[in-house]
Amino acid sequence: MTTATTAPTNRLTPGPRALAGGGLNSVRRNPLLVVLALMVLVFQLTTGSFLDPGNLRGIAIDAATLAIVAVPLALLVISGYLDLSVGSTLAVGGLVAGWFAGQQHQSPVVAVLGALAAGAAVGAVNGILCCYLGLSAFIVTLGMLTAVRGLAQQLFPLPLSSFGSGFAWLGGSRIAGIDAPVVIAVLVLVAGALFLALTPAGRHVFAIGVNREAAYLSGINIRRTPFALFVVTGVAAALAGAIKASVLDSVVAGTSGAGFELTVLTAVLLGGVALTGGSGSVFGVLLGVLFLGCLQNGLTLLSVPTFWQQMAQGTALVAGAALAYFGPRLTR
Amino acid sequence: MTDPNLRIRGLSKSFGGVRALDGVDLTVPAGQVHALLGHNGAGKSTLIKCLGGAFPPDAGTIEVGGISHARLSPRESIAAGVAIIFQSLSVVDSLTVAENIFLGQEWTRYGTVHRRAQEEVAAGLLERVAASCSPRDRVGELPMGQRQLVEIAKALSRSASVLVLDEPTAALSGAESGALAERVEDLRTQGLAIVYVTHLLAEVERLADAVTVLRDGRVAHHSTVSGCTRSELVDVIVGRPEPVPNGSAEDGTADSLGTTGGTVAGTAIGATAVSRAPRLTADGLRGPGFGPVEIGVGEGEIVGLYGLIGSGRTRILETLFGGRRASGGTVRVGERVVTPARPADALAAGIALVPADRRRQGLFPVLSAQDNALLPTIRPLARYGLRALGAERRVFDAMSQAVGLSPARPRLPAAAFSGGNQQKLVLGRWINEARSVDVLLLDEPTQGVDVGARQEIYQVVSALAEQRGTAVLFASSDPEEVVALAHRCLIVSAGRVVGELNGAELTEAALLSAVHDADDPASTTSEGAA
Repeated sequence: MTTATTAPTNRLTPGPRALAGGGLNSVRRNPLLVVLALMVLVFQLTTGSFLDPGNLRGIAIDAATLAIVAVPLALLVISGYLDLSVGSTLAVGGLVAGWFAGQQHQSPVVAVLGALAAGAAVGAVNGILCCYLGLSAFIVTLGMLTAVRGLAQQLFPLPLSSFGSGFAWLGGSRIAGIDAPVVIAVLVLVAGALFLALTPAGRHVFAIGVNREAAYLSGINIRRTPFALFVVTGVAAALAGAIKASVLDSVVAGTSGAGFELTVLTAVLLGGVALTGGSGSVFGVLLGVLFLGCLQNGLTLLSVPTFWQQMAQGTALVAGAALAYFGPRLTR
Repeated sequence: MTDPNLRIRGLSKSFGGVRALDGVDLTVPAGQVHALLGHNGAGKSTLIKCLGGAFPPDAGTIEVGGISHARLSPRESIAAGVAIIFQSLSVVDSLTVAENIFLGQEWTRYGTVHRRAQEEVAAGLLERVAASCSPRDRVGELPMGQRQLVEIAKALSRSASVLVLDEPTAALSGAESGALAERVEDLRTQGLAIVYVTHLLAEVERLADAVTVLRDGRVAHHSTVSGCTRSELVDVIVGRPEPVPNGSAEDGTADSLGTTGGTVAGTAIGATAVSRAPRLTADGLRGPGFGPVEIGVGEGEIVGLYGLIGSGRTRILETLFGGRRASGGTVRVGERVVTPARPADALAAGIALVPADRRRQGLFPVLSAQDNALLPTIRPLARYGLRALGAERRVFDAMSQAVGLSPARPRLPAAAFSGGNQQKLVLGRWINEARSVDVLLLDEPTQGVDVGARQEIYQVVSALAEQRGTAVLFASSDPEEVVALAHRCLIVSAGRVVGELNGAELTEAALLSAVHDADDPASTTSEGAA
């Protein structure tokens, strides 16, 4: 910081840094960018097929559901909260959508709207308990993770499948040559970045995450915005569930989205969002999502056993945290 | 034991060019209670912290029990026999009394804590300080006075020979204070050297054998307590041999407490002789720990709330702002009754508060200067739900020029600014062109602010009152600040407004003698009722 110039900075436009964050500066802020590039290079050299269009498309579709949930979850974490229940909410979204489309033969629009409503309901319960009643988000959403999974299995004891060609559109169609889930993920990423950079509520998210009391004393509504983020996170998880159900054409209440909550949290934290709240960017989250997607895909191409893949994922998170902690001291 | 228990020689300490301590000498023999006086910023805290090992001194020696140290770590300080009882106690609420006393020096048997032995010894120590609690009580459930005794017992368990009490009665009730005074007497006869930091001259007279007054980091006065009078002490604390205008407030209006809307204009100071329309009026305002109080602040008027820590100043401000709920009374802005229940209500009514604890309640350290200064302004400036980035920048630049922000860099995180400039950012939140308030409440407006920036902040606040007619009410425990900033000052003691100083009678000496004469709550209430 001390090396920066003290010349008048009046001509600098206070632009939305979170959108792209140009050039060298974004590399310095997101060391993950370098790591990601190196990893892609290594995978391409070792497998020879990593950068094939078909493989990249697979990575993008896998990463899409992760990104759709990671963005609102990141906003929630920036505002000082947390949602561990998204894995079960994802299952509920898939089950509700599948039930409408497969059992009730409703239109795909009704199926998706039903899923989103279910996700909103889960998010609203989280939000009321955490934001308005002041309970610990960690405990509430950990409890909801288990409770919602139990409810899903009670309501849908049998696997659902064969949702019809209409519903398959959600996960399988292409818009201008790009897969629908990827298009949705890009929209979510852009919306998240615009929200943070360009709306007053986006600033409030940071302020609440940094210092809740100071935000309250500044007259900011410290409950409404995080509550809305809980609802949006629930909706996003359910949407991701509907997309997965559409892609797979089946949902199983017991296993759909199991462990997803930790993967998505890993992506958010790898992307540089502080678990203590108050800092993070959507661009970082995108990197975190791509990193996990590429890692998993590359290791699979190299026929690395699943257990080793899990070890790599976990190690990456801890190494990333260590880098974020010690990195600035080493470079100074 | 001919050596005194504590001998400090030539102790100096600077913080970034500001000399907080400058060659301070202090000698406390065994069996002496030594009062340490001086108003805020005089160096008392720095002295205590050097003694406790929180800061390394730049020069000088600290001699405890005949052994000389150039510097102490917290651990060495304890080992040398120094025990410091800070105002904010360092007991762990969730542990028992015995566990607290033995924290960090647990007695073990077979690798586990020997609870029974600890409790037996703790009971003996508690008896020595005449505490009524049991070793098994949870500290969190005890009243303040008992907690303090637990901490003193802990000091005794470490065989402390020097006991430092930092404004020990500030958080205590009258009865508890009396009990503490007896304990201090006991400990003196037991041969401890006691350093007693206080603002209350009555305590000095009652308890202390010797007195040292610090001013601007130097020893300004040293004598036995019997060798000086109260008014001499006030003079030396203030730093000027001023006559104390005790009997000069005779014009009636100054002592009257009827400073409600209508009379404010009448009592406006002679210097400006403007008749002021009332802006902020509190009628019979009550809340937990204070009230009822009557406060009136006119348009463009700057009123100080002066009182010691714990007198209720902060509570009054927080209640006016809706941070605490009033249990009675009304708050009006102009003619409108607002009585805010939440800060958002107060802000909607045009009342803003700059809190004293900047780190905890004011600042967003990792966010940019611009975000810090404009936080409540972003939404009003926004159009179609989107931030008006250009307008935000213009408002920030104008604000930073008006308050003299340095460096004037909107992107720099607030944590990178000096204390004074951080305060300007928090202040700027309410005085920029897009968000100006009718009533500005300031709690300790220059706490942790260096001298230069302090003057700038006074200028900003004065200009605000003069040019925009903002009513300013600020709480302070620094008489110098009150004289520098206020047109008029209300004296607060034990949750009540007990007096008022106006115009020429508003001097540091008058302020100090007002609070020190208000030691006894009984006399203040009778004065207040007059």
